[in-house]
Amino acid sequence: MEIAKVKEALEAVVIEAENGLDVTVEHVYASDLMSDVLAFGKPNSILLTGLATRQAVISAHMAEFKGVVFIRGKRPKDGSERFAREHHIILLSTHLDMYDACLRIEAVERGGLAVGDKAAAKTVSDELLLCRELVIRGNDFAGAGMVSTEVKSILKKIGLDPKLVRRVAISTYEGEMNVVMHAKRAKVNLSVTPRLIEVVIADEGKGIPDINLAMQEGFTTATEEMRAMGFGSGMGLPNINRNSDELMIDSEVGKGTTLVMRFNI
Amino acid sequence: MTTKDLIDKLGLRALSTFDDRDVNGVFVSDMMSDVMAGAKSGNLWLTVQTHKSIVPAANLVDVAAIIITSGKQVPQETIDIASKYNIAVLASNLPTFELVGKLYALESFKK
Repeated sequence: MEIAKVKEALEAVVIEAENGLDVTVEHVYASDLMSDVLAFGKPNSILLTGLATRQAVISAHMAEFKGVVFIRGKRPKDGSERFAREHHIILLSTHLDMYDACLRIEAVERGGLAVGDKAAAKTVSDELLLCRELVIRGNDFAGAGMVSTEVKSILKKIGLDPKLVRRVAISTYEGEMNVVMHAKRAKVNLSVTPRLIEVVIADEGKGIPDINLAMQEGFTTATEEMRAMGFGSGMGLPNINRNSDELMIDSEVGKGTTLVMRFNI
Repeated sequence: MTTKDLIDKLGLRALSTFDDRDVNGVFVSDMMSDVMAGAKSGNLWLTVQTHKSIVPAANLVDVAAIIITSGKQVPQETIDIASKYNIAVLASNLPTFELVGKLYALESFKK
């Protein structure tokens, strides 16, 4: 399959393709784990991944892949393009999620889906069961926890497994507290599909300078006052990590942080 | 052992309105993230925190009751919101350590 065809099937945009898209790939490999790419990826493949970093591009190069497609509209922000250009790796970005991107490619390969035939291509948004937007106000310690309480009662009403709802509730609470402590405001998007619950918390705030450090248990930038109220023990992000099936953090210092938390149903 | 049994046995003051329910263990912490990570559904939660966001926290992890120890004054706002969510807020004049001792002595909570 030509990468040009992959691009069309995924409605992708080109990030880097100096020598054009007229390159044929023999396999598609979908993974966020670069060690898997190195272990199981076959030469002349294209990589589908949610990891929008140089590591993904380097791993693709090591495994002799021809290109990388970043899913869910992601784009690397760390100058990966240069590395890609130097090593002739094509970089694309698609708005689809991993599951849908795989389905599209498979459908095109089977000839079951004419490229560009959007009606036949099933995407997550088609099967959205529920979508809700909520707002968290920063510094509102009195109202803290109300958005996650709302999320919990919405999910409980649909009749989802209480243990799953609890995991979502705890993760959302921790995300909410981070906004209350460190941001001006945030939008929370709760969406439910037959196989996934996704909570996205996008804040306008100071951002996280070092995400790895922030993920460490006990690391906190909370003030004494917040800690006296029982917040900011440095367990927020680790708690989310423990309770969610997938956690993605995108942060820009001075702008804000977006948390994407996913829970498999 | 239910919430009402505990109120009688330990001389607790019930501040909010709530339905009686079974209690299956005790969790002690004043840090919210600890409660999120460690408290189990049906636990008693002992804390000295009294601000109203303890109620959503208790609701999220589904504790059977919050016990405010050390005779701390609980704001009316906390009590009102707890009643709204059917969360038991109980108060004790004993310091946490002493209350834990009494709870530990109760047959049901011995490990």
